[in-house]
Amino acid sequence: MGLPAGIDSAVIDRLKDAAGPGGWTADQDLILPHLVEWRDQWTGSTPLLLMPQTTHQAQAILAICHQNRIAVTTQGGNTGLVGAQIPRGEILVSTRRMTAIRSIDPVDDAIIAEAGVVLTRVQDAAREAGKRFPLSLASEGSATIGGLISTNAGGVHVRRHGMMRAQVLGIEAVLPDGSLHAGLSSLRKDNTGYDLKQLLIGAEGTLGLVTAATLRMVSRPQVMAVAMLGLETPDQAVALLHRLEDATGAVAAFEVMNRTGVELAVRNTPSRDPFPDAWPWLALVEFEGSDAGLLARCEEALGAALEAGLAGDALLAQNETQAKAFWFLREEMSAGQKPEGAAAKHDVSVPVSKIPQFLAAADAVVNRLVPGARIVAFGHCSDGNIHYDVVQPAGMEPDAFRALAPALIEAVHDVTVGLDGSISAEHGIGISRRDEFIRREPPTHLALMRAIKTAFDPHGIMNPRVLL
Amino acid sequence: MKLLVPVKRVIDYNVKVRVKPDQTGVDLANVKMSMNPFCEIAVEEAVRLREKGAASEIVVVSIGPAQAQETIRTALAMGADRGILIQTDQDVEPLGVAKLLKAVVEAEAPGAVVMGKQAIDGDNNATGQMLAALLGWPQATFASAITITGDSAEVTREVDGGLQTLKVALPAVITADLRLNEPRFASLPNIMKAKKKPIDMKTPADFGVDVAPRLTVLKVTEPPKREGGAKVADAAELVGKLKEAGVI
Ligand SMILES: Cc1cc2nc3c(=O)[nH]c(=O)nc-3n(C[C@H](O)[C@H](O)[C@H](O)COP(=O)(O)OP(=O)(O)OC[C@H]3O[C@@H](n4cnc5c(N)ncnc54)[C@H](O)[C@@H]3O)c2cc1C
Repeated sequence: MGLPAGIDSAVIDRLKDAAGPGGWTADQDLILPHLVEWRDQWTGSTPLLLMPQTTHQAQAILAICHQNRIAVTTQGGNTGLVGAQIPRGEILVSTRRMTAIRSIDPVDDAIIAEAGVVLTRVQDAAREAGKRFPLSLASEGSATIGGLISTNAGGVHVRRHGMMRAQVLGIEAVLPDGSLHAGLSSLRKDNTGYDLKQLLIGAEGTLGLVTAATLRMVSRPQVMAVAMLGLETPDQAVALLHRLEDATGAVAAFEVMNRTGVELAVRNTPSRDPFPDAWPWLALVEFEGSDAGLLARCEEALGAALEAGLAGDALLAQNETQAKAFWFLREEMSAGQKPEGAAAKHDVSVPVSKIPQFLAAADAVVNRLVPGARIVAFGHCSDGNIHYDVVQPAGMEPDAFRALAPALIEAVHDVTVGLDGSISAEHGIGISRRDEFIRREPPTHLALMRAIKTAFDPHGIMNPRVLL
Repeated sequence: MKLLVPVKRVIDYNVKVRVKPDQTGVDLANVKMSMNPFCEIAVEEAVRLREKGAASEIVVVSIGPAQAQETIRTALAMGADRGILIQTDQDVEPLGVAKLLKAVVEAEAPGAVVMGKQAIDGDNNATGQMLAALLGWPQATFASAITITGDSAEVTREVDGGLQTLKVALPAVITADLRLNEPRFASLPNIMKAKKKPIDMKTPADFGVDVAPRLTVLKVTEPPKREGGAKVADAAELVGKLKEAGVI
């Protein structure tokens, strides 16, 4: 398949032509930022970066690649956490110039955004229209609509509003042979045959290049409240979540963080533990709703939870600055680990009721395999998705820890699967989880997935090392 | 000693303020309102002074609409003892506020007024100074540290050249700067307790103060738009961007 040495220079010239003026570069200085990613785990290589601006240009590019069997990697904001967007010799196609918001319709509650539009811009555009786009995650300042669709991103509001899949009404995509899948529908009901867009969502760029999407907007909540609670155990977190949801019907986010995570974030980032006492777990709760009585109901529910012993302490943000400070601590859970050396990361989900069991079993495994390792467990308690990160023991050689990591990851994933969980809740398979995915997935599932891949991409040119 | 802390309800610091299309002011419809951040710092300082034993009672006073009760409740949840709301829907100018506060000081006889150096809506930075002048009290503005000993206060001020330390005789007016402290978060038990603390409802007329505006706002406009910058991860990306822009 099309590795750098194998590509005819005439074909390279045709690709440059297809991308148009300003639409390509072979300057490795300009390309470099596209070859390294957030966790510094992969450094890629590519002979050519293509940056189409229009769907037409993207079609012309993929048609040439298809005819000449040239492999491509697609990239949006380069925030993916499983290495799928990093080329290893393939031509790199970036959506960074496809940045138009084509339309916004507050009657249909729909917004059409091109693939390269960054998530915060969609959130802002919806807000300007008096609405809301209900997907939020820590990478929202860089992650693009195309990338969010291709990873079926989750984030903090999944329990209430669903993953990216739930926000997508229609997709326009260029298929691997250069043909167009024109599906920018704003319909909420459409049962005409297989729902093809659903295959493109979460496909990690293996089935086509998403060029634009119709996204749904929801109404904007009139009342929002953000609380932080100090807890002794994860059992309290699960009980608290249900107690607050039953009492208010308004829990939009319920995130947890363990002590080690809070300590590393406070040590290594400008975040602050809001409590005077060192609680083993913190729960950050965001309520949203539209009735005037909501705030009082939240206060009552939080007070009742304290009295019932479901939390040891509770704070309620009195202004946006305080709400942001609570969220900032949660968002710095990853950054806080970085200066501490190597880490083995898990993005698992289990049924919410089994979170405490998962944590107890996984902790036991880690303490047995790597005594002294520092466990940073945090994440989306409300949908069962725990980011279970194991940071190397202080003072250990990072490489010595990295050598232990595969066995550790395998063991934590065994615990996950044993509790009916998933080894990739929201980040996807990419390159980092590919071998394990193929080993663990039932053969019938894999056969169907491979048949779908072949139907879309017979020559296997799109993100060839990813997923399958 | 009793401390009086005035608190103002303003547009939340994080809200992107929008000018009304008719240029008569800023749009307040459905906008999140909170306590002015400098007032919050003043409340925190008062609570700390009481915790240190330098003060015995904290009274907060707000001048504003009925919803300013929420602002007072926030101060009560942080630790203040009772509140006074001087209710008016009028946008009261600094001089009017200072006159009302003078009347409250005369009724309450506090040992000091601790207040924010300015409110982030009008950015006037005038009320504390006017109040001190009207009362004939000493003033110590832009405080970054306050120590009370006996009948005087030592106040460190942030001035252009660095820090200046003043000693003022009490009673005095002290205004808080940003670095005076980091306000605490309100805990739920304290929020619930605050609901039971008393708030006295008053009007400007009760104090015989005319709060009619003396200034006329001719026009409110947006500042010129700034081109947004971008963050780069490292030197290599910076070089890439500079090349892209054709400057190297
Ligand atoms: C700090 C941080 C926090 C995060 N938090 C969360 C979280 O809470 N929840 C969550 O789900 N994820 C999270 N992520 C990861 C998340 O997957 C990415 O942020 C995002 O979904 C990827 O978008 P992107 O534009 O950066 O895509 P990239 O990283 O560029 O690409 C991701 C994948 O999509 C493909 N792709 C990109 N654009 C297109 C396109 N137009 N057509 C076809 N394929 C395309 C790529 O080939 C690759 O397979 C986080 C990441 C970071 C760095």
